[in-house]
Amino acid sequence: MAVRRKLRPILAYFFLIVPSALILLGFLWLFITSFSTRTEGLRSLGWTLRNWSFLWKAPFGPMSPSIWLITLNTFLVAVGMTVLVVLVSSMSGYALSRMKFAGRKGFLSATLILHAFPSVTLLIPIYFVLRWISGIPIIGGGIPLIGGFGFNTLGGVALVMVAFQLPFGVWIMKGFFDEISWDMERSALIDGASRFRVWRQIIIPNIKPGIAALSIFSFLAGWNAYLIPFTFTIRRSGKISVLSVYLQSFMGETTITNWNAVAAVGLFQLIPVVIFFLFSQKALLNIYGGGKKGGV
Amino acid sequence: MKVVLEGLSKHFGKVKAVDDLDLEIGDGEFVALLGPSGCGKTTTLLMIAGIYKPSSGSIRFDEQVVNRLLPKERNIGMVFQSYALYPHMSTFENITYPLKLKKVRKREMKERAQRVADMMGIGELLDRKPAQLSGGQQQRVALARALVKEPAILLFDEPLSNLDAKLRLRMRGEIKRLQEDLGVTAVYVTHDQVEAMTMASRIAVMNYGVLQTYGAPSQLYDHPDTLFVAGFIGAPPMNFIEASFEERDGGFYLRSQALEIRIPDERGALAKQNNAPQRVIMGIRPEDVTVVAERDGDFRAEVYLIEPLGREDLVTFRFDDEEIRALVPAPFDGQIGETICLKLDKEKVHLFNPETEVSVLRSGNGGSSYH
Repeated sequence: MAVRRKLRPILAYFFLIVPSALILLGFLWLFITSFSTRTEGLRSLGWTLRNWSFLWKAPFGPMSPSIWLITLNTFLVAVGMTVLVVLVSSMSGYALSRMKFAGRKGFLSATLILHAFPSVTLLIPIYFVLRWISGIPIIGGGIPLIGGFGFNTLGGVALVMVAFQLPFGVWIMKGFFDEISWDMERSALIDGASRFRVWRQIIIPNIKPGIAALSIFSFLAGWNAYLIPFTFTIRRSGKISVLSVYLQSFMGETTITNWNAVAAVGLFQLIPVVIFFLFSQKALLNIYGGGKKGGV
Repeated sequence: MKVVLEGLSKHFGKVKAVDDLDLEIGDGEFVALLGPSGCGKTTTLLMIAGIYKPSSGSIRFDEQVVNRLLPKERNIGMVFQSYALYPHMSTFENITYPLKLKKVRKREMKERAQRVADMMGIGELLDRKPAQLSGGQQQRVALARALVKEPAILLFDEPLSNLDAKLRLRMRGEIKRLQEDLGVTAVYVTHDQVEAMTMASRIAVMNYGVLQTYGAPSQLYDHPDTLFVAGFIGAPPMNFIEASFEERDGGFYLRSQALEIRIPDERGALAKQNNAPQRVIMGIRPEDVTVVAERDGDFRAEVYLIEPLGREDLVTFRFDDEEIRALVPAPFDGQIGETICLKLDKEKVHLFNPETEVSVLRSGNGGSSYH
């Protein structure tokens, strides 16, 4: 039986180390490949920096966009989407948690169903919606920087991403609002605050972990999005929208794929995510911390 | 400020939380809403506060009907069971929050906050956050926040439930003194009858959303209107024994299998006047049951359980199938299983109609309940 007891931790470590090692191996290959001319497994056949040349030179010729412009685009989509999702979710989450109104239950089930919906099936209908938006003056296509909210614009991509992310966001935020005691709100109402003030000054500061979690998830979803940006933007005259699409353009069907360059760009796309994670990890883990003293 | 509740009701779907409540609270009075969990007392309090809208009936502050007024327009201060302090703000910010919302000038805000905090004994804690305070200190901050806007009425929702026994005792006295000094009308919700008895000038007892009785503590203790009130007020609780009520040879008697006692004529006559049925429920408090020598006793019973309380011993006796509890001076020298003679104070015997659960000794004048 002593063998049994010794076996447990060994098994635990086994199941932790092996999958982690496999994943890390992948990243290791990525790293080595991006700095090599060619690789044989994990062995580099020659170190070089030329795969990273996209950082200072446009790889498809002087007319094609630089990586930095594309990074900016990706950033705009991700951040814009995060801000919208957090704003709308925190307000609707509050309403769903605290207010009684007709159709509340139906709305809640609808958010769950919508969240489970595969986005792929809706691509065609969304195309028509975006085209229709493009017809609207100014909003459709005239806004600087993001180009508007219609088809083939960054705004349009962000809008679609927000729509797909919202059910999840609303559900999460409602959960966090449910955790706040009613007495605190009642006290604020008696003290003289309006409902909106209660939301802004009393509740939101106590929801910070929830907002942090939602922001992180939304940002990552926005940064890594591929299908939506790819489908709803057109690669015309070399114009490329976001990093994931840019990455895909390296894997051409008519030329040999330069896997080393792919590895480099892939790593490049990873860097902000890693940095983001390093800073927000503490906030994420705090969701489970809780920390309310005595209260109901 | 006077508060008058008239025909007040509140439904939550099919559930009737408060049913046709009529209550009048005088200016500067301390009234307790007492009852078990779920009896509707907190719902009533929240309707007075304006958090819940009444389903029917009216609430009046002095002569003004306030049903439609928002909580912030009612000039009330409220202390919650969980204190409901804002955890992300300092004590100072918590206390001055109502003032800030009223756009009071900064200097005046500071003055008033300091004054109230000093009065509550937390003057030095203004920089701390609620999480850094003890339970008792948090309680005082909650009180300070309610008082700082100098409200016309103070509402308490079981504020002492989260405190340990000793602190509870102290805060009880402090809150009572505070209310007396300030002269503010106060409504205090509790399930603890000791709190209600010691603090309130009048107690409204509620059960299942219905007002059972409303009167001064001594009135409720000495002349309980209903079986529920009799059993709820007073600790240890009143003993109830089934007996038959008989009139014979010019006297009134209560008889059960093991005992027969003669009750004073006035009480018997009153019971007869109130159409007391043949079967009644007799109520007698443990402090009115005494251990006596053989010849003085009303009946005999067997010692079943002895619970020392320090100053007295609470002894449970068994006779027939019934149990009766008595408070005897400590130390009680009987043994478990021993048969002892007991005597009941006839002047303190209560009688109740088993079906209506109403006391048959109500004299009609000086009645304590509103119906």
